[in-house]
This record gives sequence, structure tokens and C-alpha cells, in this order.
Amino acid sequence: MYTFSMQAILPYLSALPEAMWMTLSLSLLTALVSGVVGIFGALLRRSRLWPVRFLLGFYVEAMRNIPLLIVLYLVFFSLPALGMRLDGYYAALIALTLNSTAYMIEIFRSGLIALPRGQFEAAASQGLTGAQTLRFVVLPQILRTIYAPLGNQLIAIVIGSSLASVVTVGELTAWMGTAGSASFRYFEAFVVVAIAYLVLCQGINLLRVITGKLLFGRLEKAMRQ
Amino acid sequence: MSSNLLQYSGYFLNGALTTIWISWLGLLLGAVIGALVALMRLSRSRVLRLLGLVYVETFRSIPILVLLFFSYYGLALVLKVDLSPFVAATLSLTLSASAMMTEVIRAGIESVPRGQWEASRAAGMTARQRWQYVILPQAVRVIVPPSVGVYIMVLKDSSLAAIIGYVELAKAGLLVRDATGQNLQVLAIVAVLYFIINYSISLAGSALERRFHIA
Repeated sequence: MYTFSMQAILPYLSALPEAMWMTLSLSLLTALVSGVVGIFGALLRRSRLWPVRFLLGFYVEAMRNIPLLIVLYLVFFSLPALGMRLDGYYAALIALTLNSTAYMIEIFRSGLIALPRGQFEAAASQGLTGAQTLRFVVLPQILRTIYAPLGNQLIAIVIGSSLASVVTVGELTAWMGTAGSASFRYFEAFVVVAIAYLVLCQGINLLRVITGKLLFGRLEKAMRQ
Repeated sequence: MSSNLLQYSGYFLNGALTTIWISWLGLLLGAVIGALVALMRLSRSRVLRLLGLVYVETFRSIPILVLLFFSYYGLALVLKVDLSPFVAATLSLTLSASAMMTEVIRAGIESVPRGQWEASRAAGMTARQRWQYVILPQAVRVIVPPSVGVYIMVLKDSSLAAIIGYVELAKAGLLVRDATGQNLQVLAIVAVLYFIINYSISLAGSALERRFHIA
């Protein structure tokens, strides 16, 4: 009979906060970069030039159909070929961002579809610059549509960041590997990491619900009246 | 270069077939568990509903790589059995697919209007007849299209089985890479193969969806 003993992995718990922070910071950075690039990618997907549209469409389909692991390996092994120094963290960041940007483009695109073209024309005729149009016309209107999928994407990034352990980044999954193999207590290490991921993902969920209430609560009340 | 890699085409093909097969297995087993958990989530009992919700949120939040490490290394120590990479990979893919399929099946069952349930009861159907002739035929049309998406997700996740040494498409590629030393070419071939497989499945999925909408 297996005796469950948290005692056995106690010495490794001190490294857990650092691993958790690595997962979180890698995810947040990925979300930030892919979110910003995603907005512009979505706008470019409506470009009048068909090669631009085609290339972006191809990029999105490629990233949605090729496993993240393969993208990660491609980035990890082509960096040295390009003469850059091999660093697992940057390889993971680039691969995660490449992957997430494709999904971000689709999320923002779904928001833009609901936005009438006249809005852009009206903004231009009012003399708004491109940045002003984005900030005051586009984003406030599409935020409601993209809010829920954006939260799902953030969770997908956190889960995807587990792959960084494959290229020696010391995040949560790597912690499980280290603690498990050193103590031979994979089960206990699994329970700890599973709870850590649950806390991260459900924390994002909770935050999404709360900010959603704050952002749209008044709007919804007004619409009901 | 290409003539050199061409002699390994059998490895790539076998790997691709293994990938398609193990993902299909994960999807099917996941759908069976998913159907049970979906019934829990729709049950009248609050405890069952809560258990179903906890199940889904748990396996949605835990990365597949963590599940793989656990089932390959952890379960072997707990159960005192040696799980093969195949069993460990199938188990992990099934657990992750079951969480996704629960939500798909639940949405399918919920899409059948209340009136259909009431009408079938009023017509004196037994529970079995109700499911067989009224609810399931209508729910399946809502369930199948998103299941194709789940299949693609599982297929992409199955590449992680390479980490525990299960020889599917990704691992086959890594083995050929080790044998030939042609790093980027081999990885590019693997990427293209995954793209072809998944893109074909999603095209077939949209064709299926169109047929379901017309029917």
C-alpha cells in the first residue's frame, strides 16, 4: 500500500513560489505581447492588399494546426542556427507568443466583425488619428465581445507555458519533475502542482468575473431598464 | 538532403498513423466519460452537479504535460505497476478530452428545447425511448461539430507523449533527427505533417457541419 507523505517533498516546497512566479510572469508577458500584436494582426487581416490577408490567414491556420511543442522545438533549435545564444526562456517566450498571437488575431477579428465599417469612416472624417480611432472608437466597442474569449486565452497561455519545462525553464511543471525525481514522490509533487495550476487558472476566472462586473455591470443594468 | 530523409518516410507515416489513432482513442474514451460527467452536471442533485463542475474545472486547469508526468512516473510508484508509455499517454489524453467533451455534450443536451422533454413524457415514452428517439438524435447534431475541434486539440496535445517516450509523430521525428542530425529539416517535415492532418480534419469538420445544418 502506498503511503501518502507530504513530509517527503517538504524540502522542495521552498522553490515553489519562484516556479509559480516563473509560470505567471512568462504567461503574462506572452499575453501582453500577443494581445498587442493580435490587435494589429486583426486589423491587417482586413487589409485591402490580398497578399497581406493571405499571409496572415496562413499564419493563423499554421499556428492553430501545428502543436506548440513542434513550434517550440523549431524556435529552440533555429535560434542557434541564426547565431543567437541558446536560451530556453526566450525560446519558450517566442514560441508561446507565436502560438498565442494567432488565437489573439482571431479573437480580435471576431470583435471587429461586429463593428460596422462606417465607424472607421466616421472616425476618419472626424480627423481622428489611427491611434485615437483604436483607443476611442474600436476598443471600447469590441471589448464586450472579446472579453470572455480573452480570459479563456489567458488560461490557455498559462496551461501552454507548462511546455517551457521541456526547454529547461524552471516553472511549475519543471518543479514537479525536479521534486518528483529527487524525492521519488511524483504523486505528492503532482498534487502540489495540480493545486498550483488550479489556483492560477481559477484565480484568472475569478478576476475575469469581478472585472467583468465592474466593466459591464452598469451597462447591463442600463440595458435592462 | 531530401533523398537522405526520404528513406525515413516509413517512420513518419507510422508516426502519423499512431498519432491519429491514439488521439482518436483519447477522444472516444473522453466522450464516454464526458457523457457521464455531463449527466452529472445536468442532474437534479446539487452534490452531483458540484462534483461534475469540480471534475471539469480540474482537468481543464491541469496541463497535459503534468498529467503525463503523473501517469507515467507517479502512478507507477503508487500502484506498483509499470505503465507503458502508451497507457500513460492514453490515460492523460482521455482525462483532458473528457473535460472538454463534458462541456460539448452538456451544451448538446441543453440545446434540446424543454418542450421536447415534456412532449415525449406526455406521449408516454419510457426514459430509454425518450433518449433514443427524441433527445439524442437532436443533441448529436449540436455535439458533433465542436467534437471535431476537440479531436484537433487532442491530436495536438498527443505530441507531448513524445516527452515520455511514446513513439508517435513528434517522437518519430525526434528519432529521425537523432539518426540524421538534420534538425530543422526534420522538424519542418513534422510540422507540415501535423498541419496536413489537422487541416484535413477541420475541413472535413466544416463539411460535416454544413450537412448537419441543411439536414
